[in-house]
Amino acid sequence: MIAQLRLLLLVAFRSLWAHRVKSGIVGSILFFGTLLLVAGTSLLDSVSASMERSITGSLTGQIQVYDKNARDDLALFGGMSMGSTDLGEMPEFAKVEKELTAIEGVKAVVPMGVVNAMVMSGNELDLMLDRLRTAHRSGDREGLAQTKAQILGVAANIKEELGYRQAITSDKAKAAEEAAALEDVLSEAFWARLDTDPDGLLAFLDTRLAPLATDGRMYYLRLAGTDLGQFMEVFDRARIVEGTAIPQGKRGVLISHRTYEKLLKNKVAREFDAIKKARDEEGRLIATDNLLADQVARNARQYQRLLFQLDPGPARELTTRLQRYLGSQEADLGKLLQSFLALDDQSFDERYDWFYKEIGPHIRLHDLTVGDVITLRGFTQSGYLKSVNVRVYGTYEFTGLEKADIGTAINLTDLVTFRELYGKMTDAQRAELADIRTSVGVKEVSRESAEDALFGGGAAEAPVTEAVATGFDEFAGVEIARYADGPVLDERTYNAEEMRSGLALNAAVVLDDPTTMPAVKTLIEGQADKLGIQAVDWVSAAGMLGQLMVVVRIVLYVAVSIIFLVALVIINNTMVMATMDRIGEIGTMRAIGAQRSFVMGMFLLETLALGIVAGGAGAAAGVGLIEYLNRVGLPATGADIMVLIFSGPRLYPTWGLSNVGLGLGIIVLVSLIATFYPALLAARVSPRVALSGKE
Amino acid sequence: MFRRSFMAGLALAFFLPSTALAAPASAEMVTMLKTIDDRTTNSGDYKSLVYIERKERDKSDLVYQAVVYRRDELDKLVIMFLKPQTEAGKGYLRVDNNLFVYDPTVGKWERRTERERIGGTDSQRSDFDQSNLAQEYVPTYVGEETLGKYAVHHLKLTATATADVAWPFVELWLDKATGNVLKRQDFSASSKLMRTTYYPEWQKLYSASKEADVYFAKEIRIYDEVEKGNQTTVVIQSVDLASLDDAIFTKAWLESKSR
Repeated sequence: MIAQLRLLLLVAFRSLWAHRVKSGIVGSILFFGTLLLVAGTSLLDSVSASMERSITGSLTGQIQVYDKNARDDLALFGGMSMGSTDLGEMPEFAKVEKELTAIEGVKAVVPMGVVNAMVMSGNELDLMLDRLRTAHRSGDREGLAQTKAQILGVAANIKEELGYRQAITSDKAKAAEEAAALEDVLSEAFWARLDTDPDGLLAFLDTRLAPLATDGRMYYLRLAGTDLGQFMEVFDRARIVEGTAIPQGKRGVLISHRTYEKLLKNKVAREFDAIKKARDEEGRLIATDNLLADQVARNARQYQRLLFQLDPGPARELTTRLQRYLGSQEADLGKLLQSFLALDDQSFDERYDWFYKEIGPHIRLHDLTVGDVITLRGFTQSGYLKSVNVRVYGTYEFTGLEKADIGTAINLTDLVTFRELYGKMTDAQRAELADIRTSVGVKEVSRESAEDALFGGGAAEAPVTEAVATGFDEFAGVEIARYADGPVLDERTYNAEEMRSGLALNAAVVLDDPTTMPAVKTLIEGQADKLGIQAVDWVSAAGMLGQLMVVVRIVLYVAVSIIFLVALVIINNTMVMATMDRIGEIGTMRAIGAQRSFVMGMFLLETLALGIVAGGAGAAAGVGLIEYLNRVGLPATGADIMVLIFSGPRLYPTWGLSNVGLGLGIIVLVSLIATFYPALLAARVSPRVALSGKE
Repeated sequence: MFRRSFMAGLALAFFLPSTALAAPASAEMVTMLKTIDDRTTNSGDYKSLVYIERKERDKSDLVYQAVVYRRDELDKLVIMFLKPQTEAGKGYLRVDNNLFVYDPTVGKWERRTERERIGGTDSQRSDFDQSNLAQEYVPTYVGEETLGKYAVHHLKLTATATADVAWPFVELWLDKATGNVLKRQDFSASSKLMRTTYYPEWQKLYSASKEADVYFAKEIRIYDEVEKGNQTTVVIQSVDLASLDDAIFTKAWLESKSR
């Protein structure tokens, strides 16, 4: 037996050497097949693992828990529902936290709740008038003078624009009224009223001048309220980009950095950034790319977004600096800005830097700026509108998700602010509403029956009745809360107990070892009924981002499978051809007494040897490639989706023994199968036929 | 020949809708609108205590009590919420075409459009304000109809190019006997029906300054036609036509109530 095996090995290796060209070709194919498999599966696993780390390390944790009676599914990164979602409530987070942290393997339980809030940026003049009103109220003469100068600057710009508008408007009377109002505001006599009739002056500015400015914008912010201290500690992917984290116990907002740069930024600056990205990252040129050239032209037409924001002093200085920079004698700042914004490939980089250095500091680069106190408004669960003043402490991003719109659509706030905006109705409030309702006694009339009920046969009285004139004191029995003077920043602090003892909508369960997720989830589910919660894994909790990850994974697997299948067909065909080519040789061997089993064994051994040697080399090369990529990183070039898939600007793939074992095993197995059938056919050929050379 | 024509004419007259024969002239329709505007406007001041209730499917009911101050001659309006306690002090100020909202909890004013839903209900500024239909809209006649047991004129109104109104198209059903609005439907620019409003009861109060009655709808039922099932009811609880302090129609006054 051993002798026969030895003989087989000898013959097999001698045969491989004798057919070394053919062996080389087949070996090369096996080499590249294994290389592809080892590197491909390693990359796939690395992409999956990095996406998982990005998502679980950002917001979801490995498991999320929320009310078991929730009407909607939890979708932290946004779901398919267009309206607000009903996730139910966990009224006492502390109770849930206590039970879940007792489970082995649970590292932390982070309370959360998502609400939608609106923020109005206000039109420029409305904002200035607010400042003017505050300065007047507090007797701040310097502030008054400064704001007055700003208002005059904007009024002068509007007057110029109104000239163009008057030429095309059909409502000449309204245009004349607007022009007269502007003339008034621009006169010294008007501002003298600041001392004699401040309320009248402010009302005039409010109602006659401010409507002439461009309307302010309304932003919708999706806010995740959480214990921010714990959040930043547990979710290692979250990092502050600008400003600071919200100090422990303070209330505030951290805006997603992408939202800050893509939504809240001055339009001209935003376009500058977009053109820079197109040139630097996508290799596009203004000279050759029509879309980019259009973008540049459009941006130049937006010059008023800079002009209207410049105070008179900086505007004068900028005029001088732009004249010098452009070598122009033009005195009109608007025209100078248009010339400056007429960018080409040669001037772009320099003007980009000049813009941020010379113009940026004098305009409001973002509608909501880090350090601002903003008013968040939202419709509470009770239906009433709730407003909260909070400070924007900074911007943040999740590393790996920073370029994905879907991954950056959420902003962070403290749990107390969340609870106020969520606004669950208390029993006392409910009772108060019932009292008001009872005192009026309105009967309910449905839409369907309204006409019959309101105008039908039952109504005997005439539709007009005489009212009785009775004076009334509208404030009798009414309590109006008193607030401090001016915009109120909610500086109340809160302690950890206050935060954790209240309501949360969902909670992230972060594990010591992510691989224990299925087991821990089962343990949590064991407590679900008692706690009134349900548990979902991170893929499900991530909503659309989780679904996107699943789709990306499927697409990558399908792509690698197709490439591999093509390689298999090639390997198979090559092996069949190589075997069939040797029928004459088989006949000779059979003629000199070789049994069929010997022939079969020889062929399979040859393939096995070739597979192990070439496949082993291929696997080593695959490992080498992955090691190399691990050191230099695979860049996520092109679309932003690549950054999401790679969970960052570069993917640093790793390999595992499973990738090598799988790659090598599959290649050797496929080669053996591809050899077996033609070898079987060849062994069945009779020596006479084989030697005749006809087959 | 004459006989055949006569019979045909008779048949035509019989089958033609009665509205075609009775359709009021354009000037008459403008007069109808002016009558509504004149009746609801006071030359002096106007103060009313109102109850607003909004029902929305699957949500808690919203309930407010508010005071409305009007100085129609100067196009000024203030709506201030008095109850519930969490809402007390919040309010709206309208001066000319400007509508501002104030929230004392954050000490901020914001500019709002005509489409603003007062306190998040289906009601709008125009539901509490004097009527200005004749100036803002151009009427056309749709027909004579019945609404419950009342005979009504059905008018279709199109906003004039310069009017700053919430709805570009409006349909009105006016009580033939009194000329009051009994039903109103508001349509968007794409002619989509947005809301239906009923005015089942009108009241009038003698104004010494006007030397005539001032009319107001005692009850207003507003049905949201987009979000079916949502409805808002406004009840005018009391009206007072005594003159008001000038200071009421300023931002400072509304602010002062909560400072």
